[in-house]
Amino acid sequence: MEQFAVKPLIPLHIGGYDVSFTNQSLWMCIVIGAITLFMAMATSKRSLVPGRMQSMAEISYEFVANMIGTAAGEDGLRFFPFVFTLFMFVLFSNFLGLLPGSFTVTSQIVVTFALAAFVVAMVIVVGFIRHGIGFLKLFVPHAPWYLLILLIPIEFISFMTRPISLSVRLFANMLAGHTLLKVFASFVIALGGAGGILSLLSVAPFFLIVAITALELLVAFLQAYVFAILTCIYLNEGLHLHEHH
Amino acid sequence: MVRALSTGSRAVSGWQMSPQEPKDLRKLGDRLDAFQQANEARNKPPPAQTSLSIAFRFSTEMVAALIVGGGIGYGIDWLAGTKPIFLIVFFVLGAAAGILNVIRAAKEINARIAAKKDGD
Repeated sequence: MEQFAVKPLIPLHIGGYDVSFTNQSLWMCIVIGAITLFMAMATSKRSLVPGRMQSMAEISYEFVANMIGTAAGEDGLRFFPFVFTLFMFVLFSNFLGLLPGSFTVTSQIVVTFALAAFVVAMVIVVGFIRHGIGFLKLFVPHAPWYLLILLIPIEFISFMTRPISLSVRLFANMLAGHTLLKVFASFVIALGGAGGILSLLSVAPFFLIVAITALELLVAFLQAYVFAILTCIYLNEGLHLHEHH
Repeated sequence: MVRALSTGSRAVSGWQMSPQEPKDLRKLGDRLDAFQQANEARNKPPPAQTSLSIAFRFSTEMVAALIVGGGIGYGIDWLAGTKPIFLIVFFVLGAAAGILNVIRAAKEINARIAAKKDGD
């Protein structure tokens, strides 16, 4: 579909690789610009009694800080900048993607997989720094040794699914929502052009679009939340090596 | 802030009992109560996860485990030239890992719901 197509805006080839500046790159820059603008405007006044912008920024700060505190514990708060950046990036990508004519960065699996792979790679690095080789205990559940032959590969596969399930969930939710909107929008146009009594019926899918857009707003927030909280849960495992029972 | 407002409005509505109270004060109390009720409904945080997102979470966990298991098996087969033994073995292991993932996700969601109920 046209709205998911990645088009090069400034063609650029370096050493045989296509590194063109695409509409994808443009919208990533817009997302980051929007976040920076929002935060800069919110923190410029630094008043004791926050205004609208400042309290929005404070709410998002507290929201993420609480999330990390409950899911990853106190020492997880050291990763606050990372989780906050991730959450804001996904949230703003999802929200800005809902604007008509815009491009949804998170509807591309390359982007979501890169984010998820980065999260899991960081968990592995943090785990090894914290626990050394003992981090591998994560793959060894409490069980008799003859079951471990079976359980260690299962635990390993279960760990390896994380980047995939994390990225596919976000990507598929965004893709499905936007496709749904597109399908219902095409109903409106097809029915409207059909003439006669059918043209009147085109109001029905139109109202559905309004409802779905509201649902998509919820999904956009929810998926950013899910992405961030799963990052916290995985970080918690890297930090504290929670054994599964 | 909301709590301060609510105790304030309750004080006003409690005052309502006395018969000689001015009329407009009673009106104000009623309005405050109505406002507070409307606000309570609006201030309720949205559910952290809708059923749809929970269902989606389970299905992605399961499918991702199958893909990873199958992928590892296929890779080993490709390296060792033992098609399709490892593909079959790791696909089954992947299914087991998927079920494990789903059980863990369900436990975690249950724990979160329980924690939320305790908070209320």
